[in-house]
Amino acid sequence: MIELFHIWKQYQKPYWALSDVTLQIKDGDFYFITGPSGSGKTTLLKTTFREILPTEGQILVNGVNILKVPDNRIYTLRRTMGIVFQDFRLMFHKSVFENVAVPLQVIGVGRKEIRRRVFNTLQKVNLHQKMWELPGRLSYGEQQRVAIARAVVNNPEIILADEPTGNLDPELAFEIITLFKEINKQGATVIIGSHDRELIRHFGDNILFLQKGKIVGKEAHR
Amino acid sequence: MIEKLKFFLNVTGNNLWQFRTRNLFSVTIICLSFLTVGIFLSLSNNLKATARELATNMSIAFYLDAKATPETVEAIRQEIGRPAFVASVKLVTPDEALERFRTSFPELADMAAGLKANPFPPSLELRVKAKASASKEVLAFVEGMKKRPGVVDVLFNQEWVERMQGFSRLAGAVGAFLGGILILTSFFIISNVVKLNVFARKNEIEILRFVGGTNLFIRIPFWLEGITLGLLGSLLSLGLLFIVINLFPVYLGTTLGALQQLLRFRYPDLAQALALLGGGAATGFIGSATSVSKFLKV
Repeated sequence: MIELFHIWKQYQKPYWALSDVTLQIKDGDFYFITGPSGSGKTTLLKTTFREILPTEGQILVNGVNILKVPDNRIYTLRRTMGIVFQDFRLMFHKSVFENVAVPLQVIGVGRKEIRRRVFNTLQKVNLHQKMWELPGRLSYGEQQRVAIARAVVNNPEIILADEPTGNLDPELAFEIITLFKEINKQGATVIIGSHDRELIRHFGDNILFLQKGKIVGKEAHR
Repeated sequence: MIEKLKFFLNVTGNNLWQFRTRNLFSVTIICLSFLTVGIFLSLSNNLKATARELATNMSIAFYLDAKATPETVEAIRQEIGRPAFVASVKLVTPDEALERFRTSFPELADMAAGLKANPFPPSLELRVKAKASASKEVLAFVEGMKKRPGVVDVLFNQEWVERMQGFSRLAGAVGAFLGGILILTSFFIISNVVKLNVFARKNEIEILRFVGGTNLFIRIPFWLEGITLGLLGSLLSLGLLFIVINLFPVYLGTTLGALQQLLRFRYPDLAQALALLGGGAATGFIGSATSVSKFLKV
């Protein structure tokens, strides 16, 4: 479970990127965070995996106050999460296989097991035939699927995706969110930051509306 | 554990290859630094060994009065043979001295043949036991014997031994000084090369952080990279040193005479070679560790 209590974040005075955000996301939820550009979607996701620290407030992930976890132990939190960035953040000098294998390598999984799990995950995103390609030779949508494969390969409890369909055509965007939905069905909590109304309307179980850093609305359709 | 080690070695190898130009540059600098240390070390080794040889074969020649009676010579011989540090005493007659001169300087044979009388005085040659060489006791004995009636001169190679030891210390100090400066330079170069590598792989490091890589996991490949650069540089310097040692006498030819003996290099022994390799690895490790801890905010 992810619990945010009165989160405030200020990058620059006098603007608040997040203003008093309080939110509870239960295990297995499928959440959309939406709002116009600059509404605080990315800031909210970044504070959740502690890339940035809030100015005020507390965040509990599975009961642990992540703001009190020392820097050198933050990896324990990150290992429970899969993160998908808008800009993919792939290693372009490494193959698709190597990119997806990284989360398993950092936890010391054996080579055979890595090969098996990476292949299975790439099969799920339909990229197993391109696993030895360099990401630079793949299409935009395929690169996005590599990023998703990397986020889910170690079966994380939580998946955070920031604008995962940002620059994709509608058909591909639909395909990607369907993939997240499937991962969610297998038990993972999925939180997606997006401003694509069409997708949100179609897939959104839970929707959080942000505007100027404040929660201005919530919808639950499940 | 083995899987992780394989992974780190693989990552290090890939990284070294990916930035091969700048890595080659730092290996060259390390190599030149350690080559400088190695050259002075081997020169110092040679001077030390020469000094040691001189010290172990230390002999003192007591030149006697040409008119000294056999009884006087015998009395001096017994007196010289008495101290505990004496290994042997040998009488060299004027005829033997002349013969030695002819053998040692064949180019002066004409001059020796033209001599009307033998100019060499008799002498007593004393060999000092190795442990006692150049001790205060020996020096005091030599000083005392210089004043003894019947002894006209004393030739002692102790000064040469001291000179050799002095040169050896000087060569060691120059090597340590120059090498120290160059090793410090290597350290900063490695540090900067690793820093550049850290910046070039910023994206990758960030990804490792987000997927739950520990600080150690992220740092180890950079440390290994520094160690490998240092080891490669020092290993290469040992190879080059071997070539220098073998080629230098050929380059010098035979023009320097006795000086050539002193400028001969001795290859570092196993302990010294291992120390150079260890020094290279340590320079690489410290250089990269400093850089990583300073510029890698993990």
